[in-house]
Amino acid sequence: MNKRSLLTLATALAVAAALSGSPLAQSAPPAAAAKPVPRTADGKPDLSGIWIAGGVGLLFGEAEAERIRKADIAAGRPAPPPRQPPPYKPEAEARRQQYLARRGIDDPMARCLLTGVPRITVRPLPFEIVQLRDRVIILYEIHHAFRIIPTDGRPHPDDIEPSYLGDSVARWEGDTLVVDVTGFNDKTWLAGVGTIHSEKLRVTERYRRDTFDTIVYDVTMEDPEVFTKPWQQQETFRLRPNERIREYECIENNEDIVRFEKLLETEFKK
Amino acid sequence: MRTACLLVGGLLAGAASLRAHHSFAAEYDGGKPVTVSGTVARVDWQNPHIYLYLDVKDDQGAVAQWKFEGYPPNMLVRQGWKRDVTLKVGDSVTVFGWRARLDPHQGAAREVTFADGRKLAAGPPAGTGGQ
Repeated sequence: MNKRSLLTLATALAVAAALSGSPLAQSAPPAAAAKPVPRTADGKPDLSGIWIAGGVGLLFGEAEAERIRKADIAAGRPAPPPRQPPPYKPEAEARRQQYLARRGIDDPMARCLLTGVPRITVRPLPFEIVQLRDRVIILYEIHHAFRIIPTDGRPHPDDIEPSYLGDSVARWEGDTLVVDVTGFNDKTWLAGVGTIHSEKLRVTERYRRDTFDTIVYDVTMEDPEVFTKPWQQQETFRLRPNERIREYECIENNEDIVRFEKLLETEFKK
Repeated sequence: MRTACLLVGGLLAGAASLRAHHSFAAEYDGGKPVTVSGTVARVDWQNPHIYLYLDVKDDQGAVAQWKFEGYPPNMLVRQGWKRDVTLKVGDSVTVFGWRARLDPHQGAAREVTFADGRKLAAGPPAGTGGQ
């Protein structure tokens, strides 16, 4: 064991010892409090694992969602900040309102198009983070999509073609992995019906494994074409150690698309 | 019984989430909950959504076939469903969900109640569209 590993171990033990004596730890299940955030050989927090952000109740049932809610309260975990509406310029907001009035029938995701960032993260399906020495790979169950995110200091490539998931590069700021995503096309919605953006979108994701079982995910969306200021959201990822990434094939027999066409020819015909 | 169904429907509708099925509101009416009982005629266990077909008798004995859309298989298996085991042709079940806007005999399934009283989630709550 080298010096850094010893230091990391000592730090982890010190944190665990400090936590075990805190009121927070006393009200939490002992096993949860005893588990420090794992670290890789280079001392970084290890984000590896299978996680889910939103929709625990949808995927695992309401009883499981309630169990997590109670565990959060017992552990003194603060509630996530309330979700803010997108700070759109008037013309972009007008477009969003049109999409809402059309009840989401124009949703690109409903037509099985690849979902962008950050929406792909908050779908009620898990994803696996694989943290390697020089890159982080995220494998999403939805769309069977993946992102390969270099962490070795390289810049974005200079030949980016606009794409659904954009181009990601990352760096560590202390214990937080900060991912810079750019090079998007304008064909996705950001986080809900009508949350449009332009190709000038830039997304900054911050992944911080604050406990063994959770990652706090802060995301900032900037787009001078549509926003008056950056749009920020926060999610909590939950570790699902017994889960595995399964297959979800969106286009197999998506009858929704056929019905959308009928609705567009009738109710939505202008 | 009708009152009970409406009450349950109301409670579930109240739990409506913005994280619901993509474009739920485009196709289904979250303001029109429906509960029907019948015999399973067919199950299309497929992506991106399964479909359950129920033969439902009315008071005069006439049979109409209902079609319910549900979660994809990868979501159902995590809540205890098993293909060809949980729901078989000929089973008697009750489905709670919401009516489709186009077809009077179609709906979005939220929950299936089996003959022995067990209940399993079959689809998302009503919503305004995908989060």
